[in-house]
Amino acid sequence: MAKVLPDIFIDSNLPAYEHLLELDNLKVYFDTQDGIVKAVDGVSFTLNAGQTLGVVGESGSGKSVTAMSILGLVPMPPGRFADGDIRFKGQSLLAMKDKDMQVIRGNHIAMIFQDPLSSLNPVYRVGKQVGEGLVIHRGLTATQAVAKAVELLDMVGIPNPEQRVRDYPHQFSGGMRQRAMIAMALACEPEILIADEPTTALDVTIQAQIIELMQELQKKHGTAIIMITHDLGVVADMADNILVMYAGKPVEYGTTNQIFYSPLHPYTWGLMRSIPKRTLDNDQPLTPIKGNPPSLIDLPAGCAFSERCPYVQQHCRDEEPMMRLVSDDHYSSCFFSHDGEFLLNSPIYDTTEEVAAGALDTGTLADAGALDTGTLADTGELADADDSNYQSGGRDG
Amino acid sequence: MQFVPVFIGVTLLLFAMRAIVPGDPIRMIAGEKSIPETTYRIIVERNHLDQPIYIQYGYYMGDLFHGDFGHSYQKGRDVIEIFADKFPSTASLALGAILIEIVVGISAGVISAVKKYSFIDMLLTLSTSILVSMPVFWLGMLLQSIFGIWLKNLTGGAISLPISGSGGPISAYPTFLHYILPSVTLASVSLAFTARIMRSQLLEVLSQDYIRTAYAKGLSKRDVILKHALKNAMIPVITFIGIDFGTMMSGAILTESVFSWPGVGREIYLAIIQRDWPIVMGGVVIIVIIVMTINLLIDISYALFDPRIRYGSKKAD
Amino acid sequence: MISFAFGKARAARLDAEGRAAAQNRTLWGDALRRLRKNRLAVVAFFWIVMMVLVALTGRMWVPIIFGDVMYPDSTIAATMSRLPPSWQHPFGTDSLGLDVMGRIAYGAQMSLSIGVIATMISTTIGLLLGSLSGYFGGLFDAVIMRITDMFMAVPYTLFTIALLAVLGPGWVNIFMAIGLLGWTSICRVVRSAFLQVKENDYVSAARALGASDFRIILRHILPNSIASVVVYSTMSIGTAILSESALSFLGLGIQPPEPSWGLMISEGQTWLASAPWLVICPGAAILTTVLAFTLLGDGLRDALDVKGN
Repeated sequence: MAKVLPDIFIDSNLPAYEHLLELDNLKVYFDTQDGIVKAVDGVSFTLNAGQTLGVVGESGSGKSVTAMSILGLVPMPPGRFADGDIRFKGQSLLAMKDKDMQVIRGNHIAMIFQDPLSSLNPVYRVGKQVGEGLVIHRGLTATQAVAKAVELLDMVGIPNPEQRVRDYPHQFSGGMRQRAMIAMALACEPEILIADEPTTALDVTIQAQIIELMQELQKKHGTAIIMITHDLGVVADMADNILVMYAGKPVEYGTTNQIFYSPLHPYTWGLMRSIPKRTLDNDQPLTPIKGNPPSLIDLPAGCAFSERCPYVQQHCRDEEPMMRLVSDDHYSSCFFSHDGEFLLNSPIYDTTEEVAAGALDTGTLADAGALDTGTLADTGELADADDSNYQSGGRDG
Repeated sequence: MQFVPVFIGVTLLLFAMRAIVPGDPIRMIAGEKSIPETTYRIIVERNHLDQPIYIQYGYYMGDLFHGDFGHSYQKGRDVIEIFADKFPSTASLALGAILIEIVVGISAGVISAVKKYSFIDMLLTLSTSILVSMPVFWLGMLLQSIFGIWLKNLTGGAISLPISGSGGPISAYPTFLHYILPSVTLASVSLAFTARIMRSQLLEVLSQDYIRTAYAKGLSKRDVILKHALKNAMIPVITFIGIDFGTMMSGAILTESVFSWPGVGREIYLAIIQRDWPIVMGGVVIIVIIVMTINLLIDISYALFDPRIRYGSKKAD
Repeated sequence: MISFAFGKARAARLDAEGRAAAQNRTLWGDALRRLRKNRLAVVAFFWIVMMVLVALTGRMWVPIIFGDVMYPDSTIAATMSRLPPSWQHPFGTDSLGLDVMGRIAYGAQMSLSIGVIATMISTTIGLLLGSLSGYFGGLFDAVIMRITDMFMAVPYTLFTIALLAVLGPGWVNIFMAIGLLGWTSICRVVRSAFLQVKENDYVSAARALGASDFRIILRHILPNSIASVVVYSTMSIGTAILSESALSFLGLGIQPPEPSWGLMISEGQTWLASAPWLVICPGAAILTTVLAFTLLGDGLRDALDVKGN
């Protein structure tokens, strides 16, 4: 069968390392006809075995490109690594040969995608696709791989796996497809699973099941998860750490508790205000973030969020803020995150409706493509945020 | 089944055309010589030409059902016999051309797509544009003069020798050599279209999410293209090649003319010029049957390539 | 999102149309900008412009430079026959002693006029039947589709030959034959474009606002299908020129002494070994002109972002 490439990433072969995965000031730029798109601009984080990192931001915030960079799947050109590094088990991935990246992909780091239907090849049986990684990385024969695929489908809770392996993707339901994707990703028991909006394309009831399944499997296998989402609600129960991104730049990074109970950045506040809160009065309107994400080619001078920030000062427009440590392991890129009085604007302290009303602008919804100059935002996204929160509420209660 | 309406439509159209053409076809064929009145009566009666046109049509369709494709006005032979003679030449030429089309067209398209925007892609794309813009008969003549005249010392050919392709399978040199130039000529436009379709389909498929999934699984670029992309991209290409094969099997008038190839296309063309309607009718009917049969085979091959068709497109959610 | 209050509905409609018009303007503006960056398409465009100028003015200046290219002077024909290319006769002379370059310039008029008129005919028929078929569907659609099936089951060349055999040769009959038989592909292109556009929300919105079928087709669907029609008909001019040359080559098209590129190749075939320029030059004229339309069509397709091959 297929010849298996030598695996240089087995722990015993490697010098001791501090973090399983480490992004260090990563910059991914795209050279386009209209100029340089700084899709990822200075992102840093660390991830250790068994941990979950939530990466939150609107579409176009660079969260997906960050994920694709880790697996070396960013098309180059037009993309290029402008600066920084990605280290997996202490080894820099940017300098890695393509053969070694192939060993990592699907084997050490696996990924699941937003739309499970389009992410599965329509002309091959599910079983073959789920087991394919085992053929590549473990040298299994096609028959052995399909036999293993039955076990995997069973593990992710697909009924009648013996028959279902012979099905084609279009014969699966949306939720089952995503389960199959998860089975496919976990086939080689990777150390890291990157999930790029895994529940966005699914029905509300299915979303909860998929999240639950991922948590369950994480507990069983000790997999580290990078959960990419536009929806803070999705990562609330799941993540250990959360990175909030805006326009390709990190704006806030901290533990889940820090982000939810003492958020520092006005953008994070905006995201939180756009989540319906079941604790609050139903009549209180949601507060979308005013305006659209900026074009990544033509970022405003100073703070990228300055044009949409309700608390913007002249200083924000003059100087570009950097991520700074505010309290233990809690970073923010806002100039005023140290200002106790300023932090009173946070929705956590915000119990009066007047403050909310001040930032309120019903004209625009938060989630629109950064490069999309159209004025209508994606109304589906708000509905999504609405749904998942409703559903996570149902789960808790 | 779209076969029946198409079949009836084509035959009706041909009958209408025959009715519109001025003059008496039988006397026209005879030309200067006047033919004996008895011979004339025999031809008229055998073809029911003294009946109204719709009665003639009825007779014709009736005969077709009994496998009778009619009788040539001029050659005194059954139409089916004439085409049985010509068909092997056409089929062998078509087979040669389709092989070239498949091999060259598909590989050019794949290379172009994989090396998108590279020098070789530009070169291939420009070449295919030139090929589709070239008159086929002109290309045939260029090839003849290059290989049959200029390079005659190299190829040992002259314009009437096998390398030039002239005369076809019945020429004095029974060798595969005389297939080369006519097949290349016949394949030229088609292989350019195949390459273009292959390129655009493969590019389209390569931008699909499941290709990203395949890369994320750890497949090499080669395996992603060969195992995951090609099978999906092939479906429209196969349709085109299939339809094209049908067209080639129904004769290639221009290529056959340039190379004096004794094929079906040239036979029908000459019959049109000479107003030998039974040959025209019979030939077109045979062509329609061939084309429709091949179309049916294409539809069946769809199912082999695309499980969504095989299993119906019912969605579980 | 639609406001059904009287005044507002009208305002909304005006607004929507204004916005659609503005979007259309930018669509074509962007396309032009992208097209200008495509060097091949620009060269192709200027080649076409040059050919059109030659076709329009050729009859005025060709006789002055190259002498009579229609009727040979029998007294000197023997000495002038099949001269190889020279400064005086850049493409040589033909067997009657006529200048080949001059005849090609005359032929441009035939080829381009037939290409353009035939395309106009086929585009009009295809656009009309395709849009009705795509918009209304049902029985009408089924009938039209069976007719296109029929046309596709018989090879195109064979059909044009049969039709020309019926109509007889001649300039008008050629573009009639090519035009009348060439509409099926554009009909399918328009139909599928319609089927796609028809499902869009703004068409439903227009319908909800009470726009008539005619108005919806004209104002809302056609502008969005027009890009593929433009691309397709540009390429189809090239195809029609190729068809004309093939028909003339077979002796069914333009009749001598009127020059046509296909006819010139057919006449030159006899002398392929001794006077190859008689075949090469008119063929090169066909190739470059058709290629120009192909490349321009390709460029337009990329610039307008139309899908397809």
